[in-house]
Order: sequence, then structure tokens, then C-alpha cells
Amino acid sequence: MDTRVNLPTNEKVKISVRDLNFYYGGFLALKNINLDIPERKVTAFIGPSGCGKSTLLRVFNRMFELYPEQRAEGSISLDGENILKSKMDVTLIRAKIGMVFQKPTPFPMSIYDNIAFGVRLFETLPRVEMDERVEWALKKSALWNEVKDKLNQSGSSLSGGQQQRLCIARGIAIKPEVLLLDEPCSALDPISTGKIEELIHELKSDYTVMIVTHNMQQAARCSDYTAYMYLGDLVEFGPTNELFMKPKKKDTEDYITGRFG
Amino acid sequence: MSDKHLSTQFDAELSGISGRVLEMGGLVESQVTRALYALTQFSEETATHVLLQEERVNQMEIEIDRDLSAIIARRQPTARDLRLLIAISKAIANLERVGDEAARIARTVQRLMNTGVSARLRLPVSDLNFEAELAIAQLRKALDAFARLDTAKALEVLKQDDQIDQEFDGLLRKLITYMMEDPRTISSSIDLVFVAKAIERVGDHAKNLAEAIIYVVKGTDVRHTSVQDVENVVR
Amino acid sequence: MSAFATMDAARMGMHRKRKVMNVVALTLALGAMAFGLFWLIWILIETVRLGVGGLALSVFTESTPPPLAETGGLANAIVGSLLMVSLATALGTPIGVMAGVYLAEYGKTTWLGAVTGFINDILLSAPSIVIGLFIYAAVVATTKTFSGYAGVLALALIVIPVVVRTTENMLSLIPNALREAAYALGTPKWKVIASVTLKAARAGVITGVLLALARIAGETAPLLFTALSNQFFTANMGEPMASLPVTIFKFAMSPYQNWQELAWAGVFLITLGVLALNILARVLFRNKH
Repeated sequence: MDTRVNLPTNEKVKISVRDLNFYYGGFLALKNINLDIPERKVTAFIGPSGCGKSTLLRVFNRMFELYPEQRAEGSISLDGENILKSKMDVTLIRAKIGMVFQKPTPFPMSIYDNIAFGVRLFETLPRVEMDERVEWALKKSALWNEVKDKLNQSGSSLSGGQQQRLCIARGIAIKPEVLLLDEPCSALDPISTGKIEELIHELKSDYTVMIVTHNMQQAARCSDYTAYMYLGDLVEFGPTNELFMKPKKKDTEDYITGRFG
Repeated sequence: MSDKHLSTQFDAELSGISGRVLEMGGLVESQVTRALYALTQFSEETATHVLLQEERVNQMEIEIDRDLSAIIARRQPTARDLRLLIAISKAIANLERVGDEAARIARTVQRLMNTGVSARLRLPVSDLNFEAELAIAQLRKALDAFARLDTAKALEVLKQDDQIDQEFDGLLRKLITYMMEDPRTISSSIDLVFVAKAIERVGDHAKNLAEAIIYVVKGTDVRHTSVQDVENVVR
Repeated sequence: MSAFATMDAARMGMHRKRKVMNVVALTLALGAMAFGLFWLIWILIETVRLGVGGLALSVFTESTPPPLAETGGLANAIVGSLLMVSLATALGTPIGVMAGVYLAEYGKTTWLGAVTGFINDILLSAPSIVIGLFIYAAVVATTKTFSGYAGVLALALIVIPVVVRTTENMLSLIPNALREAAYALGTPKWKVIASVTLKAARAGVITGVLLALARIAGETAPLLFTALSNQFFTANMGEPMASLPVTIFKFAMSPYQNWQELAWAGVFLITLGVLALNILARVLFRNKH
């Protein structure tokens, strides 16, 4: 599905996807995706299982390169540079485009070290500045008050919702420009989910956020723009208000009103 | 509601509430018809009947609104479903006011019955009938269009609304003439002006219903839009 | 209550049959366990009974005596065992861990990884006497002397495949999600392995090392052809060296009573040591989970 630059002209484009095709071995999982991601807004990806939304998200930070049978063709331009070109150092790309996964995965180290880990990869900060960075990241993820007295405890001693916020803090501590959230709330209870949705709303003042979710109401609540995908195609992309009130395509409407599975 | 949701419960709820709306529509339509009959035939009995049924109309509005809120709370509807529910909310508000207009006409009939037969005989009640038939036809057409979410029919309702307005203007002039000729008819003539106005408002409510139907199907709010522009939307 | 009353006869019949099967299976299982435990407990009791008697301070301070002597101990054997076992572990662990890391993190899809894994499995199940003979031919024959170093090499060859196997297994247990989370931050591969994956598998890997240690503590055959034995105390690895297993072997089969007593004391010490290592390994592993 061809969806060329379809953002209102007052939106700045952060990432441009052009003619993206993605293969799992011989299977074409993403078909000719064309998309512009607006800067400092939340873009949600919705669609039934197997539609390719997680696959698409994982192309942005070249996560698919960990698996030899997966490959991507086409271009993804971040601020003008094509990040799919192999000569770009993938660790630098991943420092600019961070990701939080579905399952919270604290590293086997203290809460402090969890956050400092990513920072230490690219910056050498004196202790005082590192403390400040850790505190800043934890405050941004609404976790500081709950852990400020136990920064030396293991990351796995936190509850599920706290662990996920820890992972988010870990992701933003390295000050990326883009944040990819892959179903960040699906393993969490409603209250933790609510806290993270609040957080997403605040994050967008500093970061461009892309979120994959199978919970349509969450997409409706959290995002400014929504993309509906089906079987590897980008069916429709538009402002969330419009997509949920008056979608342009019948397929989109059928999906969001629960008229098919 | 031709295509099915995954949840048959939701389908049942939507068709249930749509059915209730049409039931209410039928009730108020008969209210208006009876009120006019009471007027043209000077039937006290029919007027009283209309006033008793008014209670039922109000009750229906409350019940349907309550069911509406429940569906919205539980189903988090989007797109077309949400627009339908919003339209239903507007529809029943309009239908309830149509019921009010019918009640107002019935009360007027009761008042007129007390002024004396001769005075009544010289009033242009039959002209009122014509206006009323137009309005009732509009209402019926709008309800039909709502049942089938037929935008073409809804557009017709919008186009024909002017006719009722013109009828009302004509009636007003006629009644003013009557009042000038015979000051003793002023009181009843003014009552008839109010009746004519009530009928004209029934036509307006039918128009509102039509606008809501277009909103459901096309997703565009066509209130306060010229008929030409609405035609473009419906195409 | 009435629901059960109305359950029909056929279902009740099946239910009773299942209950009987339950009891039969449980009895058989408990019986098998009791059988195994019986022998283990008997061995332990005998070991303690025969070994404790021979324990004295002299066991730790004096070297192995000549037959029928009044005094004597196992000092040279104990020290020899400690030296050879710890050096073998120190040599074999890094090699084993790194090979295990290769197999789990780099070699999962390569032919080299498959071949390495296969060879490791063979080495793992090779009889220790074969390994001893190999070192004999390769080291002892060429250096023309039995030595502690040869013993260390033989023992290391037993440690390595064990550590490789446990390291690979433990690393493979770590979910990919954890690795992906590290990669997503921009971590290079080696750092993901060193700082995240290995750290997460730390307890399991250490357990593997401890188990390898416990195993080589009791190995006799490889030492017979490599370190041989030495009736005198020595800490010089270039010379033949005494060790507890070999000493026990020599003394237990002899007709001399003092030697037999010392053998049992040695058995007791080894058992104690291996038991302690196993318990330590278990405690460590449980804590991390």
C-alpha cells in the first residue's frame, strides 16, 4: 500500500521509510512500506497478529541483523541518512534509536548499574554526573521515588511494572532521539499500564516515540498518529482522531470496530 | 447494521437500541398525527389521549439514553459505531421534542374547545392540516432513512425542509389577516400560530434527524451547511 | 454433595482404578528410592566408621610412612592433590568457559561449532584412563619423567569438556530477550556476552566448575600414568607427586594395617571434600534463582 508523505505540512519528519521490503528467509513479511514518522509525536502501529508491526519496529534499530535469515531492502532515513546502509555503525544507530521490549529484562546488576550500563558505553562521566544522569532517567520514568533508597539492589528485585519502567529509564538514559516501544504494557497490570501511558505522554516532548500495541484503546489514548497494518501492508496512516472517528479505508474501520478477527 | 461484529452481543445491543429508536419514532409520529386529528375534528378525547401518551415518550427517551451510556461505557465504540451512537443520542432528543410539540398542539386543542364552536368554524384549520401532512411526511421519511441509514433519502428531507417553512409563512400571513378582520378571533388565532409553529418545528426536528444520518454514514457533520454542500458530501 | 451422589457407576469405577494405580506407582517409586538410599547411607556409614578412627593431627602433618610404621600421615598426598587439582581447574576453566561461550554465542550455526561440540562430547565421555595414557605418551615419555605437571595436564583435560558443556548449557538457558535488550542500547557483541549474558549465567557456570573440580578430586587412573606417586613430601611440580586417590589405591590393597587405616582416612577426607563441594554448588545455584 502506497502511503507517500501524508503528514500535514506543519509536522517535521523525523524518519522517512521508502520502499521497505523485509524477508524472513524467502517469506516477504513487509511489503513496500512507505511512511513518514513525525518528530516528537507518538506514532502507534496497530493490526492483527502477524501483520508485521513488530517486524517493522525492529527494522528501525536493525535488530533483525542478529538473525542471519532476516534481511531488509529499501531505505530508512533518519535526519536524511539511510540507516540501512551497512557501512553505518549499528551500535551508534542503536544509541540514537532506543528500544523497550514487551518483557521487562533488567540486567543482572544493581538498579544503578542497569541505568549506567548504557551510558558507560558511549560516555565517560565522573561519578557525580553519572549519579545525576541516573537520577534524571529514573525521575523521567516515574520510578525515582520508589527506588531512590535502594539503588544498589538488584534490578530483579522490583515488581513487573517497576522493572518495565526501569527498562524505559535505561533506554532514555543514553538520550536517544527516537524511542521504540514494542508492546511495552502487555505484560503489566492496568495500574502499571496507566503509569506508563502517562509516561509516554511526557516522553514525547523530548523524543520521537513509536509504539506497537495490540490494544487499540491504548493506541487511541496514547498516540498522535496511528498506522494500521495488515499482512505486511501498511493499510492506512493518519492522525489518531481521524483514524478512530472516520477511517479512510473500510478495512481499517472493520478492524477497529471489531468486525473481523 | 448489515455487517457483523466479532461480538454477537454487541450486534444485538446495537440492533436492539436502533429498534427502540424506531419504536419511539413511530410513537411520536402517531402522537403528531393524533394531535392534528384532535385539532381538525375538535376531538377532546383524542387530545387527552395524546397528553397521556406524552409520559411514555419521555420515558422512552430516558430509557434509551441509559442503554446508550451503557453501550458506550462497555464497548468503547469507534468510527462508525461511535457515530451511530452519537446520532442516536441526538435522534432521541429530537424525537422527544417532537413529542412535546404534539403535546403542545393537544393542549391548544383543549383550550380552543372552550372558546365556542362558531369562532372555531371560521379558523383555517384545514390549511394547518396541509402543513402538518408535510411535516409528518418529513418525519416518516427521516425515520425510514434512519432505519436503513439511507443518505439519499436523508438528503431529500433536507431539501424539502424549505417547503414547510414557506407553508408556515403563508399560514402566518393568513392568520394575521383573520385577526385584522375580526378582533374576536385574535386569541384563537394566536393559538393557531403557535400550533403552526409547532408543526414547523416538527419539520426542523426531522431535518436534524436527516443530518444525523449523514453523519453516521459519511462521517461529516453537515449541520449549518448549505444544501448544495451537503449534496456534495452525500455523492 | 448431591453432585457426587449422581455420578454414575462407570465413572466411579474408573476413579477407583486410578486411585489404585496411584498407590501402586507411589509404592514402587518409594521402594526404588529406598533401595538407592540404602546403599548410599551404608557407604557413608562405613566410610565414617572406618575413616574417623584414623583421623589425627598427624594425618595432616606427616607424610606417608613405610609399611608397619608407628607414625605417619597423608600430608604429601593431601598437598599433592590440592596442588594438582587447583592448577588443573585454573588451567581448564578459562579454556572451558571460552569454548563454551564460543559454542553458545558464536558457533550455533557454524560447522566449526558443530564439530567442536561433537568433539567435546566425545572427550566428555572418554575414559579417564585413556586420557592418562595419552598424557603419558605425549608428556611423560618425552620428558622422561613422571611429574606433577603431567598430572595437572591430564586432570585439565577432564575439566575442560565438563566446563564447556555446562557453560554452553547455562548460556543457552539465558533468554534471547536479555541479549536483545543489551544490543538495543548499542552494546557491542563481546560486551553483551561479558557483561550481561555471562553475568546472568554466572551461578550456573560456577556450579559447573565446582562439579568438575569435585570430579577430578577423586580421579585415580589418569594420575597413575602421569604424576605417579611419591612417598616423600614435595611441592616441586616437576617431580612425581603423591595424591590422595593414588595413595588410597596403593594403601588399600596392601596387607599392612597402618596403611589400610590411612587409606580409610583418605577416603573419608575425599568424600568429605566432594560432599562439601557439591553442597556448595547446590547452595550457590539455589540462591541465584
